Amino acid sequence: MEAASITETASAGPPARKLGDVINAYALPALLIAALVAQFVYDQTGTLNDIKTGLSNGTIWALIALGYTLVYGIVELINFAHGEVFMIGSFVSVSLWATFGVDERTGIPLMILSIIVVLAIAMLASGTLNVLIERVAYRPLRNAPRLAPLITAIGMSFILQNVGLLWRPTPDSAPDLIGSQKDYFTIFHVGIEHSDVFAVVVTVPLLVALLWFIGATRYGKAMRATAQDPDAARLMGIDVDRTIQLTFLLGGLMAGAAGLIYALYNGTIRFNQGFTAGLIAFTAAVMGGIGNLKGAVIGGLIIGVIQAVSDSGEYLGLPLGPQWTPAVVFGVLIMVMVFRPQGLFGEETREG
Amino acid sequence: MSFGVAACGSSSSGSQSSSSSSGSTGSSTLTIYSSLPLQGDSRAQSLSVVNGEKLALAAKGGKVGNFTIKYVSLDDSTAAAGKWDPGATSADARKAAQDKSTIGYLGEFNSGASAISIPILNEAGVLQVSPSNTATGLTRSLGADKGEPDKYYPSGKRTYGRVVPADHIQGAAQVSYQKDNGCTKSYLLNDKEVYGAGLAKNVAAAAKVQGLTIVGNTGMDPKAANYRSVAQTIKASGADCVFFGGITDNNAVQLFKDLHAAMPTAKLFGPDGVAETAFFSKLGASLEKVTYITNPTLDPKLYPPAGQEFFKTYKAKFGTEPEAYAIYGYEAMGVMLQAIQNAGAKGNDRQAVIDAFFKIKDRDSVLGKYSIDENGDTTLSDYGGDRVQNGKLVFDKVIKAQTS
Repeated sequence: MEAASITETASAGPPARKLGDVINAYALPALLIAALVAQFVYDQTGTLNDIKTGLSNGTIWALIALGYTLVYGIVELINFAHGEVFMIGSFVSVSLWATFGVDERTGIPLMILSIIVVLAIAMLASGTLNVLIERVAYRPLRNAPRLAPLITAIGMSFILQNVGLLWRPTPDSAPDLIGSQKDYFTIFHVGIEHSDVFAVVVTVPLLVALLWFIGATRYGKAMRATAQDPDAARLMGIDVDRTIQLTFLLGGLMAGAAGLIYALYNGTIRFNQGFTAGLIAFTAAVMGGIGNLKGAVIGGLIIGVIQAVSDSGEYLGLPLGPQWTPAVVFGVLIMVMVFRPQGLFGEETREG
Repeated sequence: MSFGVAACGSSSSGSQSSSSSSGSTGSSTLTIYSSLPLQGDSRAQSLSVVNGEKLALAAKGGKVGNFTIKYVSLDDSTAAAGKWDPGATSADARKAAQDKSTIGYLGEFNSGASAISIPILNEAGVLQVSPSNTATGLTRSLGADKGEPDKYYPSGKRTYGRVVPADHIQGAAQVSYQKDNGCTKSYLLNDKEVYGAGLAKNVAAAAKVQGLTIVGNTGMDPKAANYRSVAQTIKASGADCVFFGGITDNNAVQLFKDLHAAMPTAKLFGPDGVAETAFFSKLGASLEKVTYITNPTLDPKLYPPAGQEFFKTYKAKFGTEPEAYAIYGYEAMGVMLQAIQNAGAKGNDRQAVIDAFFKIKDRDSVLGKYSIDENGDTTLSDYGGDRVQNGKLVFDKVIKAQTS
């Protein structure tokens, strides 16, 4: 593996790329796109609908996947509690709306204001929680064998799931503030729903801000340096512990935002939503290339589309269906891993 | 969780045959275990069933003849699963099987769970009565999967019965209810559990008999975030009604919301598996108008005086309306106590009590007069059709199921 930080894409330039590498790098994405195009030729409207649903669902996976990939990039730890941090984001959002008394009947200006305020609080809550988890369960184990923080991560995941269970033991409805499944407009027979627009409108600015933060600020530079070589970064005067904390905070902020979008998008929240979402998002991060921010986002979108196509019951006349969706998603993941173990867009972690 | 077994100190390596050989408990204090999912969406329903069982025992003063009956409520669910769990279920069944004072076992709530506990209790020769299992394959071969029901009874003798009509009856009632409400093309979805998949199969079979077109029948992923693509596919199939065979814990609320958003005029049907507060209190006004539920529990007015008395006593004692299956919890305990009573002096002999159970004829119960047939099934067959209003289940009508 070439050395690279969590964002720099081989700026040093690998010496000479072999033809095989190039084919590997582009063949798989091309194959996935070809598979989708074939389905499009087979059934235009259905496929467009799947792409639309898949991309908007995928934005939620992408936001969660970022948390996995950021943390892995910097401390090489799979934060298994990350799905639960996302779940808490949903719970905080719905509880806040209930406390403020905001529901479908609230006027539009107040509603928008409440969404913005609740988004900020939910992001902060999830971010703080993630930082606390790091402080309690991971930092003391920084120099312990790899397995130790893995187990504490799983432990934190179960503890938080039980907190969710105590908080809301049965699934609860989120207020349908955005009129989630009403159509804004129809294009090529595909209805673009409020929730689709909402997911994109919230996610894109967050992504841009995150990329800018990591790419252009001093803190971002410190993060990249720590990801590359924590010891050298420390020698250069970077507070490594503080930088790792910041990474967990950023991952948590994204998860909190995903939690709010999930609640408004789907309309139902439950204590174990984080488990599945975490697994899917982790898969997205691995598929895109763990440690790679763009990879995580695109991986999330790809998985969203695969899920939507499989859910809709048919691929090129082959019967699929919602009961096969998890198998299809992981089947594609295995295929990608076999031919490209570093993920579609390449792993970006510290040097072996 | 499965810690219960370890905590009671009984060695799990001890073979089960040791307990199965001893027919008589030889004791004057007998234990009846209950095993229900006390966590997850079914919690309210399960607690209500436990209350029903306790009421039935209290009505007998906690005694049958010279035997004192001890009641122990176990949990077959885990927090992590949020619903019944195979490990927790077999731990419960083993606990009961290994306790020498055990005379009966009330459970499970879910058919898939009973498929796990029946063989364990069958080898131990313990009478098991479920308040709520409806999967046909647990007792009957007709309409069941290959190897059912014999694979559940390794001893070769029947030890299991139920007080609720099985799903060949609910399937027929579902189809009647759908046709009564103007369905012409129905789409079936199921949660892939023993109960849900089996029920969908029964609905499909009944639809053939009664002449209702089924345009699709697929399983769903209970862990999915939403079902929008699925809903689009069902919409494109031209279905005017959708039936979900499954339980609330398997994401039923989310599924109904997404189906209703995609097809606002389609009528959505659910079975007894969603006839619980955790489901129908979460639908919202618009969705309530298109939701139809089949439920073995009828309007209190339609029950004999003893049944009407049950609803009054329950409300007076616990301060809430009972959930749908509370009355079946009451009757499951009631019929088990009757079997012990009918066994007379051999009321502490497990096999004698099982024999007595299968001989029950024309029992006057809170549900009406019924017998237990050779499969362990009740002879009752009336199903209720329910609607939802303001977050509450409202009785609509009795469906006289027309089985083939």
